[in-house]
Amino acid sequence: MNTQSIRLVVSWLLVAILLGYGIVQTVITAAKLFE
Amino acid sequence: MSLLTALDRKHSVAPEGYSRWLIPPAALAVHLCIGQVYATSVYKNSFIKHFDASQTSIGIIFSIAIVMLGLSAAVGGTWVEANGPRKAMFVSACFWATGFLVGALGIGTNQLWLVYLGYGVIGGIGLGIGYISPVSTLIKWFPDRPGLATGLAIMGFGGGALIASPLSRQLLSAYDPDYNSKVATSVADGRALVLLFITLGIGYFVIMMFGVANIRVPAPGWKPAGWDPSTVATKSLVTTASVSAANAIRTRSFWLLWIVLFCNVTAGIGILEQASPMIQDFFRDNGVSSVSVAAAGGFVGVLSLFNMAGRFVWSSTSDLLGRKPIYMLYLGVGMVTYLLLALVGDAATALFVVLAGVILSFYGGGFATVPAYLRDLFGTFQVGAIHGRLLTAWSAAGVAGPLIINGFLDAEGKPGTLTSSAYQPALFTMVGVLAIGFIANLLIRPVPERYHEPAGTLTPLEKEAAA
Repeated sequence: MNTQSIRLVVSWLLVAILLGYGIVQTVITAAKLFE
Repeated sequence: MSLLTALDRKHSVAPEGYSRWLIPPAALAVHLCIGQVYATSVYKNSFIKHFDASQTSIGIIFSIAIVMLGLSAAVGGTWVEANGPRKAMFVSACFWATGFLVGALGIGTNQLWLVYLGYGVIGGIGLGIGYISPVSTLIKWFPDRPGLATGLAIMGFGGGALIASPLSRQLLSAYDPDYNSKVATSVADGRALVLLFITLGIGYFVIMMFGVANIRVPAPGWKPAGWDPSTVATKSLVTTASVSAANAIRTRSFWLLWIVLFCNVTAGIGILEQASPMIQDFFRDNGVSSVSVAAAGGFVGVLSLFNMAGRFVWSSTSDLLGRKPIYMLYLGVGMVTYLLLALVGDAATALFVVLAGVILSFYGGGFATVPAYLRDLFGTFQVGAIHGRLLTAWSAAGVAGPLIINGFLDAEGKPGTLTSSAYQPALFTMVGVLAIGFIANLLIRPVPERYHEPAGTLTPLEKEAAA
């Protein structure tokens, strides 16, 4: 894997972790609407 | 070579073979951080208790930050264009992180004015510079899909609040064991607020540095493999000419687009600002709402998801449909949706949620599509600076939207006693606001040739390369 591929993976992974955390937490909150 | 010189546009040119797919996560690294500004309500009550201040005194912190966002984007747009995205992102990160640290000092020393200065003024400058810093670079890297590229970045601004809200609650719980985020009346102490601000300031600075490390401008003349620039000119309203920021604000199309953005944002803010009490009021019978406080909080979460998804989905769709038609959709279908909300929104909770969600998706879509609309009308020459000037519509809508909805609701009765019918005057007014935006969008025409830069005008990067 060359340097650019590593940068691509790390960059998108960071975005996925941050957004994933936010979306999961918000879905947990949003679920209360339908309880 | 000093650090800031190393971040100059001329030192940020991508080497041959640099993947353009490194640019969206670089832009997201900034937007996901500065989107925190929409999560300030999480610690608002703790601030009120700590400073023993009124709701308004604490609310001003957010207002200063948003006003500074609009002002710094408008004033700093040309500087961002001239100096490039790398330096702009670095400066944004410094201002944003310093804002948190000065804010923490204000909390620790019980000086509210220091929080105004830190988070509001200094952080607000970081917001404005950060918001516009990657936009023109994304458009230059994705001339074939500008809506998708800017939609991805601006989706991050919506996503920033989704991350910051739960994260702030969890951090406050960790720093103050007596704080219970599940109890609406629970507040965190001053020490926890100081530690929260320090953690966010340092954390956001580190994440934004990922953006600084990866952002690059394309080399002059670069284009995506297999893409033919002549296909752009065949679409209506899309120019291959260049219009400067100074000339853009002299055109009728700029101000019509300003009205379009203002109307779209005003209508969206009307719901966003009032979301939690609104759903409770719509389903109130004999003074008691069938929607609990927790469920109303869930509704705010659903709206945030629609807002964020709309930014990416609608902006990407605009690459296929065209910018003018997609705004006809936002504003035209938005009018129908608002009308339905006013007339039948109280029929069922699911219907209410879907209608409000669609409106919020159009709100987000309007934000994310506007840079591509500007590219179509004015070219890529100074699109970032023009975008910065257009964002004053956001600041104006941030004042107008809440004023409209709160003005009507104040006249209808006291909070906690309102029903769905109390919202009808405000919602009908929003239909009118959207109708004005719809007409303004229809009137947008290609920019007359007299405003175009002479053929052969070089971009700042090309000037530097030539030098």
